[in-house]
Amino acid sequence: MNLLLLAAFWGVLMMFISLSGRSHATIRLIAQVGMGLLFLSTLAEMQGFLIYDLKAAEMFAMDRYGLVMLSVLSGCGFLYFLLSGRDMANVGSDYSEYFSLIFFIFCGFVLVLSFTSLLMLFLGIEIVTIPLYILTGSDKRNLKSNEASLKYFLLGAFSTGLMLMGIALIYGARGTFSTMEVVGASGIPTRLLLGGLFLMFFSLAFKVSAAPFHFWTPDVYDGAPTVFTSFMATLVKVAAFAGFLRLFDHAFGSLKTTWQIWAGAVAVLTLIIGNITAVYQQSVKRLLAYSSIAQAGFMMLGLYGLGDGAREGMVLYAASYSLATIAIFSVLTRMNDYTIEGFNGLAKKDPWIAGILAVCLLSLAGIPLTAGFLAKFYMLQAALSAKYGLVVVVIAVLMAAVSVYYYFRVLQAMYFRAAEEGAQFPAFSTGFKRVLTLIAILILVLGIQPGLLLHYLYF
Amino acid sequence: MFSFPNIAYFIPLLPLLGFLVNGLGRKHLSKGAIAWIGSGVLALAFAASLVVFLNLPSGGPTLLNAFDFIRIGELRIPFAFQLDALSSLFLLIITGIGFLIHVYSSAYMHEESAEHYGRYFAYLNLFIFSMLLLVMGANYVIMFIGWEGVGLCSYLLIGYWFRKPAYTQAANKAFVMNRVGDLAFLIAIFWLIARTGSVNFVDLPAALSSLSSSDITWITMLLFVGATGKSAQIPLYTWLPDAMAGPTPVSALIHAATMVTAGIYMIARSNLLYTAAPLTLNVIAVIGIATALLAASIAIRQNDIKKVLAYSTVSQLGFMFLAIGAGAYGAAVFHVMTHAFFKALLFLGSGSVIHAMSGEQDIRRMGGLKKVLPITYFTFLIGCIAIAGIPPFSGFFSKDAILLSAFLKSPILYGVALFTALLTAFYMFRMFFLTFGGTFRGTDEQKHHLHESPLAMTLPLMVLAVLSVIGGWVGIPELFLHGGERLIEFLSPVIPVVEGHAISHSTEYLLMGLSTGLVLSVIFFAWTRYRQYRSEESSAPFARLLENKWYVDELYQTAIVQPLHRFGGWLRSFFEPKIVDGLIQGVGRSIRYISQQIRLLQSGQTGNYALWMVISIVVILSIQFFVRK
Repeated sequence: MNLLLLAAFWGVLMMFISLSGRSHATIRLIAQVGMGLLFLSTLAEMQGFLIYDLKAAEMFAMDRYGLVMLSVLSGCGFLYFLLSGRDMANVGSDYSEYFSLIFFIFCGFVLVLSFTSLLMLFLGIEIVTIPLYILTGSDKRNLKSNEASLKYFLLGAFSTGLMLMGIALIYGARGTFSTMEVVGASGIPTRLLLGGLFLMFFSLAFKVSAAPFHFWTPDVYDGAPTVFTSFMATLVKVAAFAGFLRLFDHAFGSLKTTWQIWAGAVAVLTLIIGNITAVYQQSVKRLLAYSSIAQAGFMMLGLYGLGDGAREGMVLYAASYSLATIAIFSVLTRMNDYTIEGFNGLAKKDPWIAGILAVCLLSLAGIPLTAGFLAKFYMLQAALSAKYGLVVVVIAVLMAAVSVYYYFRVLQAMYFRAAEEGAQFPAFSTGFKRVLTLIAILILVLGIQPGLLLHYLYF
Repeated sequence: MFSFPNIAYFIPLLPLLGFLVNGLGRKHLSKGAIAWIGSGVLALAFAASLVVFLNLPSGGPTLLNAFDFIRIGELRIPFAFQLDALSSLFLLIITGIGFLIHVYSSAYMHEESAEHYGRYFAYLNLFIFSMLLLVMGANYVIMFIGWEGVGLCSYLLIGYWFRKPAYTQAANKAFVMNRVGDLAFLIAIFWLIARTGSVNFVDLPAALSSLSSSDITWITMLLFVGATGKSAQIPLYTWLPDAMAGPTPVSALIHAATMVTAGIYMIARSNLLYTAAPLTLNVIAVIGIATALLAASIAIRQNDIKKVLAYSTVSQLGFMFLAIGAGAYGAAVFHVMTHAFFKALLFLGSGSVIHAMSGEQDIRRMGGLKKVLPITYFTFLIGCIAIAGIPPFSGFFSKDAILLSAFLKSPILYGVALFTALLTAFYMFRMFFLTFGGTFRGTDEQKHHLHESPLAMTLPLMVLAVLSVIGGWVGIPELFLHGGERLIEFLSPVIPVVEGHAISHSTEYLLMGLSTGLVLSVIFFAWTRYRQYRSEESSAPFARLLENKWYVDELYQTAIVQPLHRFGGWLRSFFEPKIVDGLIQGVGRSIRYISQQIRLLQSGQTGNYALWMVISIVVILSIQFFVRK
C-alpha cells in the first residue's frame, strides 16, 4: 500500500507545482524522483516495510503477486519517465499536470491489483481510465487527438456501463461485493450470476483490447500523442490484465469450466485479428497498436490456462512486453517520419540505437534468448494444460510466426535499406542511449535467467 | 594439481591452449615461436601422459568428472574422462608420435609464410586435442565430440593448401564420407540411450543385460559403420588415399597417431558389446579381410609414393578389423601401436624423400637415392622390414598375433590374410627398390637439389626407427618368452583375455616359419624385379583394373554422387521455385490479402464499433445460455 499513498501524494504535488512556475527540468526531475520512490517503496513493502497500515481488508488487500506486478509496473514507469519525460513537453503546455495524471493512474493500478471487493475493482478501473481520456486528448489543437479522446470516452463509457451492470447483477444474485463470497460454495450458479460474470468479462476484455472488443484500440492509440500511447499500450494494458486475472482467479475461479472456453476463443480471435491486420500497416505507430492487440492475445492465454504457470508467465510477459514496447515508442516519438520507410538506413546512421531496437523487436517477436521468447513459452505451456489447449497453442504459434513478418519489416528497413535522400534522423543523447541499453540488457537477462524476476513471487 | 589423476586434465588442455595461442596469434608470432609453442605443448602433454601411464592403478578405471554435460530428465551425461590401460596406451601413442610429427613439421613446412605456418600448427594442435578427447572420454557422447573434431580437423588439414581446387575437393570427400559414418555412430548412441538410458563405458556391463540380442546386433553394426568411415574400410575407404592432398606430416598424423585408429579404438572400447554380437563379428572379419586384400592389390600398381603408403594403411587397418572380427581385440590394439610406429616412420620418410626431390612424388622418377639420403634410406628400410613382418621387428609380432587369431577363426581367413601379407611385402619393397635402388631417373634440376633433410626431420625418423624395431617386444608370444604378451596382460582390465588357445606349439612354430619364409622370398622376388627400373606400362586388363583402383571411385561417382547431383539439380530447378516458393509465397500473399480485408472492419465510425461489440455480446451470450447446455 506504500505506492498508493506515495502516488496520491505525488499526484497532488505535481498538480500544484505548476503554480510555482518551476522550469521543465525541475518538474521532470521531481516526477522522476517520485516514480523512483514508488518503485523503491514497493520493493521495501516486499521486505515487510509499510509506511502506514491501511487496514481495509474487506476493500483491498495487497498480496505477494500484486507487489511483484506493481514493482514491474513502477520500475517500467521509472524507465518510461527517464526516456520519454522530456517528450511530454512537446504535447502541450500543461507539463506537470501530465505527470500528475500518471501518478493518479498509478493509484488506480494499486486498487486494480489488490481489490477484494468488486466496487474497488470498478473504482480502480475508472481511476485508471478517466485520466487516460484526458491524456489522449491532451494535444488540444490536433483534431486527431480530440477525435481519439472522444471515441475512447464514448466506447469507454459503454464498457463501464457493462461493468456496472455486471456488478449489479452479481450483487442481485449474491447480495455481496466481496470477491471471496460472490460465487460461494453452492453448486450450480444462477443465470443472474453468470450474466454478471459475462458482462464483467466483456468489460474487462474491452479494457485489455481483446477481440472483438478491440475496435477502439487502433484509432485511439494512433490518435493519442505518441508519448502517451506508449504508456497506454504498456503499463495500463498490463495492469488491466493483472486485474482481469485477479478477478477471474479469486472471484470466479470455481466457475472456470464455464468461462475458460470463452477466454480461449477470445484469445484466438485476438491473436488472429491483431497479427493479421498488423501485416498491412504502413505506419509504425499503427503497427505497434495492432501488435499490442496481438500481444494481448498472448496474455489472454494466461487467463485461458490460468494456474501457477500462467501467473508466472503474466509477470514475465508484463516485464518483457512493457520494456520492449516502451523502448520502441521512446525512439518512435522522436522520429520525424512514422512510416516504416522512415526507419530506412537507421542502422548506418545510428548502429547503437538500431541494435537496441533490434533486441526489442526480436523480443516482441519471441525469438529465443530474449525475455519475449520465455514469456510466450510460459503462456503456451499454461495454455497447453487447458481444454482444447493444443488447438489454441498451434494457432498461437502460427500467429507468432506471422508477427515475425511485420516486426522484421522494421528490422529490414533499419538494416537492409538505404536512407532516402535528405532523410533526417534525430540526435539521441548519451543519457537516453544508456537507459535504452539498460532496457536491452534487462530483456536479454530475463531471456536467459527469468528466475531473477520470478523468484520474487515466492520469497 | 600436478599429480595423478588430476594431471590428466592437462593432456587435452595443453594442445587446446596451443591451438588458441597459435590460431589467434598467427599474425603476430614468429615462425620460431609458433613451432616452439606447437611442439612444446605436445611435449608437455606427452610428459603428462607418461605420468598417467606410470601411476595407473591396476584394475578398474579412474574416472575424472569435470561437470554434467547434459542433464535432461533421467538422462545424465557427465563430461568425464576415463583413464585405464586402453586409453593411457593411446594417450602415449597420440602425444608421443604427435610430438615427433610436430617437430618434423617445423622443418618440413618452413617455406610457408608465418601466418599460414601458424594456421597449420593451430590445426595440428586442434587435431591432437580432438583425438585426445575421443580417447579420454568416459562415454560415447564425449567420444563423439572428439570424433567430430577429428573429422573437422582432417578436413581443414587435407584442404590446407586451399587454393588448389583438387585439394579442397579431397578435403570435401573426406568430410562427407566421414559424415556418413558419423550418422551411423550417432544413431547407435541414440539407440543405446533409448534402451539403457546411459552412455557411460563403465555402465556397459550392466547395460548388456537390458539389451536384447537384436538390439546389440544393431548397435554394434551401426558403431561399426561409424568405424568404417573413420578407419577407412569398405565401403567408406576411398577418402583416405585422396587425403594425400594434405602436407605429408598431416598424412603421417592421420595414418599413425590419430583419426584412422579411432574406429579401432571405439570398437575395442565397446568389446563387451561386440563379444555378445557374433554376427557383427563375422561381418567385421569379412569386411576387414576384403578391405585388406583390395587395398593391397591396388597398392601394387600405384606409382605415387604417398598413394602406396595410403593403400597400405587401408590394408593394415583391414588387418586390424580382421583381428577384431576374430575376437582378438588385444591383437588389433597391438597392431595399432606397432603400425603407428612404422607408418609414421614411412610417411615421414617419404616426406623427407619428397622434400629432397623438390616436391616430386612419382617413384618412377626417383631411384638411387640411397647415397644422397643415407639416414632416410636406412630408416625407411627399417620401416619396410617392420611392415613386411620379419622377426624381430615390431610388425612381425603384431601381424603374427593377427594371423594366429585368423587361423583360429577359420583357415580360409588365414589363407587370404597370409596372401595379403605377402602382397604387402611385395608392394612395399617394390616401392623401396624403385625409390632408393638403381640409378636416378629425375631431371637434372632435381638432381642438383638433392640433399639429406635437416636434423629436425631426421631425428624423428631415427626415434621412430628405433621404436619400429623394438616396439613389438612388448607383445612377444608366450612361445618364445615366458611372461611374454605383456601388452595383452596390461590391457586385460579393459579387454578380457579369452583363455584356451586350442593350438599346439608345433603348429604355431609352423605358421610363423611359413609366413616369415614366404615374406622373405617375396622380398627377394621384388628385388630381382625392381633392382633395375623398367617400365611397367601394361595393357593387360587386370593390371589396368588395379591401376585404376578397381574403378571403385568411378562406381561411387555414377551410382551415388551423380544421381544425387541430378536429384539436387531437379530440386533446385523445379521443386524449390515452383513448389516450395510457390507454397510459401502463396501463404504470404493470402495473409496480406486477408489483412487488407480485415482492415476494412476498422471503419473509424464509433457507432459501427459499438454495433460490432453489441453483436458479439449477443452472440456469445446466446451461445452460452441457449446452445451450451
